[in-house]
Amino acid sequence: MKIALINGSPKVKISASVVLLEELKSLRSSDCLVEYGFHTSFLPQAMNLEELAQQDAAVFAFPLYVDGIPSHLVSCLLQLEKYFIEHPSNLIIYAIVNCGFYEGIQNHHALEMMKNWCIKSGLKWGLGVGIGGGGMLLGLQSVPAGKGPRRNFSAAVIELSEHITAKTSAEDIYISPNIPRIAYKIGAEMGWRQQIKANGLSKKNLFRKL
Amino acid sequence: MKLIVHDLPEEQVKLILPQNGNTRLIGDDGTIHPCIGCFGCWVKTPAQCVIRDNYGDMGKFLSKCEKLVIVSKCCYGGFSPFIKNVMDRSISYCHPYFTIRNGEMHHRRRYENHFDLSVFFYGSNITEQEKRTAEDFVHANALNFDCQLKEIKFASTADSFRGEFK
Repeated sequence: MKIALINGSPKVKISASVVLLEELKSLRSSDCLVEYGFHTSFLPQAMNLEELAQQDAAVFAFPLYVDGIPSHLVSCLLQLEKYFIEHPSNLIIYAIVNCGFYEGIQNHHALEMMKNWCIKSGLKWGLGVGIGGGGMLLGLQSVPAGKGPRRNFSAAVIELSEHITAKTSAEDIYISPNIPRIAYKIGAEMGWRQQIKANGLSKKNLFRKL
Repeated sequence: MKLIVHDLPEEQVKLILPQNGNTRLIGDDGTIHPCIGCFGCWVKTPAQCVIRDNYGDMGKFLSKCEKLVIVSKCCYGGFSPFIKNVMDRSISYCHPYFTIRNGEMHHRRRYENHFDLSVFFYGSNITEQEKRTAEDFVHANALNFDCQLKEIKFASTADSFRGEFK
């Protein structure tokens, strides 16, 4: 299969979206993959839209920003919509959205927007994966896929991969980490305290008001 | 204070939006940078975005406002890129710690004010599905910012909203 992997995170190097795409890539070793990074409000200069249109499937991976799609990616989608209106394609679109909240369902609105984009662009929607606890993913890179606290993330990526192979559309998948919500909350808040101290500030600065 | 965040061109601003001392207008001056997801507004320069363009103090503006009015082109059931950019750059209004609201994890308040939120979507071909998405999305925004949702309106052109912002 020919599959486009589109990293829609503003972060160029490492991000939760990269971790998820890397896991998907590990399941697609026999496919012809093409990768794009949509890191700014403009489509990559060297991007060949005809090449994208000729893929069997495209998988977007991006972080949830304020309940929706990050602004730079909305710009890119508008540019792609113009192209696909003039150049109809048989692409099937899949999307993985991750958020810092525990509940994967909080990515629902962003996935709905992706579906609406598909309709406007004349593209077929496959399915979306809403990942909760995205803040954990960077810390789990050394954990083998499918093991320990990575189990639920891996299960969702495997299910997505199966749908890509079958070129099927299905109900969206929503997952939360396989640790209790309170543990995730405590861990995340400890992380904020460590980060602010690493920046030479005290934890009470987290509460600063202007 | 009333805060109006809009994506309207200058000539339309003069016709539609109020120009008075109690209203701060946030429009597109062409200089906004997108949020880079660094969380610096929580852990480097708390309560303030690290990007010091004209949109780096959105958290503070929200903390001083009683009413937030958003006028946006509807894009796929969400905001236009400029409006979404402003909202993405506004998370310093919230505290990084979590709280549980309506059974879901959300960010804790940094400030005490509870502003009213009104959203006016315009666009020549907004589908019914996009309207449903937009309504759900704005409800989620209101929950996340812990504000009161007053109204959501749709129209084919922004001119239809003339008289709404007095």
